[in-house]
Amino acid sequence: MASERSDPLVFERDVRADGLTVVRQPAPSGSASFAATYVGPAGWAFDPEGREGLAVVTSQVGASAAGRRDRVALARELDQRGGSIHRHCAPETNEVSVTGPGSELVPLLGLLADVVLRPRWATDDLERVRRQIVERQLREQTQPGPRADREMLYAVFPTGHPYRLSGLGSRRSIAGLRRTDLVKFHREQTAASGGFVVVTTSRSMSDVQRLVHSRFPRFPTDRPARAPPAARNPVSRAVARSIAMAGRSQTEIRVGGNAPSRDDPSFPALVLANEVLGGRSLLNRLFQHIREDRGLAYHASSDLESMRWGGYWSAQAGSAPERAEQVVRLMRDELAAIAETPIPAGELNRIRESAIGEIPLGLETSADAHELAVDAAYNGLAERHWLEWPSILRALTPRAIRDATANVYDPARAVTVVAGTVG
Amino acid sequence: MSRPAPRRPATRRFRLANGLETILAPDRESATASVWVWYRVGSKNEWPGVTGASHWVEHMLFQGSPHYPKGAIDRAVVEVGGTLNAFTDTDFTAYFSTVPRERLGIPLDIEADRMTRALLRDRDVNRERTVIDSEREGNENWPEYRADEELYQLAFREHPYRWDPLGRKEDIRDLTPAALRSYYQRFYGPKNAVLVVSGGFEPGAVERRIRKSFGSLPRSGADPHVRAVEPEPRGERRATLHGPGTTPLLTIGWRAPALSDPATPALVCLDVLLGGETRLFSAGASMGRSGEHPSSRLYRGLVDTGLAVRASSEFRPRVHPALFTIGAQAAPKVPFDRLEEAVDREVSRLGTQGPTAVEMTEVRTKIRRGAELAYEGASRAGFRLGYFATLGPPGFESRLFRRLLGVTRSDALRQAADLFRSERRVVVRYEPTGGDDGVGA
Repeated sequence: MASERSDPLVFERDVRADGLTVVRQPAPSGSASFAATYVGPAGWAFDPEGREGLAVVTSQVGASAAGRRDRVALARELDQRGGSIHRHCAPETNEVSVTGPGSELVPLLGLLADVVLRPRWATDDLERVRRQIVERQLREQTQPGPRADREMLYAVFPTGHPYRLSGLGSRRSIAGLRRTDLVKFHREQTAASGGFVVVTTSRSMSDVQRLVHSRFPRFPTDRPARAPPAARNPVSRAVARSIAMAGRSQTEIRVGGNAPSRDDPSFPALVLANEVLGGRSLLNRLFQHIREDRGLAYHASSDLESMRWGGYWSAQAGSAPERAEQVVRLMRDELAAIAETPIPAGELNRIRESAIGEIPLGLETSADAHELAVDAAYNGLAERHWLEWPSILRALTPRAIRDATANVYDPARAVTVVAGTVG
Repeated sequence: MSRPAPRRPATRRFRLANGLETILAPDRESATASVWVWYRVGSKNEWPGVTGASHWVEHMLFQGSPHYPKGAIDRAVVEVGGTLNAFTDTDFTAYFSTVPRERLGIPLDIEADRMTRALLRDRDVNRERTVIDSEREGNENWPEYRADEELYQLAFREHPYRWDPLGRKEDIRDLTPAALRSYYQRFYGPKNAVLVVSGGFEPGAVERRIRKSFGSLPRSGADPHVRAVEPEPRGERRATLHGPGTTPLLTIGWRAPALSDPATPALVCLDVLLGGETRLFSAGASMGRSGEHPSSRLYRGLVDTGLAVRASSEFRPRVHPALFTIGAQAAPKVPFDRLEEAVDREVSRLGTQGPTAVEMTEVRTKIRRGAELAYEGASRAGFRLGYFATLGPPGFESRLFRRLLGVTRSDALRQAADLFRSERRVVVRYEPTGGDDGVGA
């Protein structure tokens, strides 16, 4: 058995004749596990009109039972091999991942291939998934946090934009889905071209290529039947929405707007700006000024979602209803500050070094390293991208960051949503 | 049959003169190092009037100590790319930082500085009051939290497991800074703590550093025996909650033995059988739910049949007898009575027929497999070593693991029959009032 040790910050990539991209990510040294993912090039943006929710339902039913295994047999095999399977459907993609002990890579990769290529489409699985999706729709409607998230995207993106929706469809569209819809969607959209198989392992690239070739010899289609939607980012306009939800202890607040796509040259600058505004580090401004200085909220943070066809940013906090107005004001002040004033050099350096220093923490387990590789591979980044990431961040000046944020974090175009007990 | 133990890293263990129990788990290849301090103090040590104090102290230990004024702890760890956090449970509170290996000195200094000398100033305590209030309010938005809180209040009348680690709302409002300082001074110190360092470091140098920075701390930190004993229940207890949302929840809890009880391994197996989670032996540090388990009995009996959209069991053994719970969310239009009957059917079947031989083999396989990856990475290793050292004597994890693999069908049958008795159960129904929330301009 071939085995090689190499830098987990550098992955290897090969594109097969049928268009499938095969990626090998080195497992962190000492790791006893592996992870593998098929990234399919069609998520809920590809739902046909009137069939909203189809991609999500297809993904869930497809991963329930596959090959010769019904749902219970598939679960038992995973248990016996110490593996677990995860699905993730997004507007652009449909992912299925399997993780487990490194010694079980070969059989579990076979199981992943069955799930991707040979789902069983059992009717009772479809009915169960239908019930579960309807329950998620209800939660999205009646829980303040998820409801605020949804309403923010409704306001940021216009009707018809793929990022506007959560992919869950409506009660009506979910009720109308038939088994044949799922089979057709799978046949037409589970493609080699535009698809990726990423494997995080200590085995060599040639081993990975051989294994992927033997387990994924052919896909239902070479190319997705439908082209990706030509959705470019709109320019959001200021909207304030207040959703009264009686009896809730906490009011959820979201402020958001459009952000550029992942391939936009301003993306690295916006990553750092988001870290300063409300990113993972506890040094961020929203956390410091809303929670640490004033004690107004337990959670206060921000996110940047840059995807292929555009993206969005959002700042979020949860506070007591009587403090919500003050929190909204503070959040908008922070936006204005980051859009208008260059970040002081000291603050920028702290956040930058934090973002660079945390790279080894993202490589503690194979599953951690795998996440980085899937992201890099899907977004077409260079094989040495994570190795070069520190230099990219260090090259950014306060001025360059301000130039990027001025067009994005504009309070005059920001959407504000307040959901919960509102005054 | 081979019975491998969890793939645990080699450790060096020692105790300082002031009582601090220390575990070093070096891994030369790791690029990170993780520092964990576990205190044997949690909501079990609180009493009415100071409920939530352990959790409040958890917040305050980030708010300043002699060498790390407010904000400096976060800055010191985060600036080098590290991550830090803490969590409070009924039986313990844990603080952790994971950093690039060459920065290990930073979290060690922080933990030594705040172990007995955190400042807990009046103004900081009072400012944190609204943050904690907000944390609780955020949880209250979720029906699951409300149902769980009600379940434990109903099940326990005497024992501190009665309240949630976040504390009662009234106590969060009224607890004084002086009372919180007194709580901290009483319970926090080397005598009541376990320090774990895992990942990439040279053990000799780190041991010397620990002896120097922690060795000078006073021998403080009480771990008093919790005297409250919950009397055996004399009958079933029930409550129905009404609240916002559209989530009809059924939660049932049965009084279950403590972690050290000989019956516990069989109950852990029943949990795996019913809900599918291996919990104590799984790949991951959360010990939470990782997803659906279609081969589990509850899934087949409740979800596959269309009665529930999800169903799970949870037996997380604690220092004192607590609860074995089953939770299910009713599918639309399924009445609570039908769902409850289905849960009854499942637990009665276990209590009369027990598991099959095939099921027991599957449970053992699952536990063995889960244990294989449980220690992957410095952070997970630090979590697990600290968790078991805090809750049990040396060798506790290995013994528990061996006992789990030794549970027989008849053990499981006997314990199921003893556990799932209606007079020992507490039932909470959460009836949602609906989702007619409007959108205003």
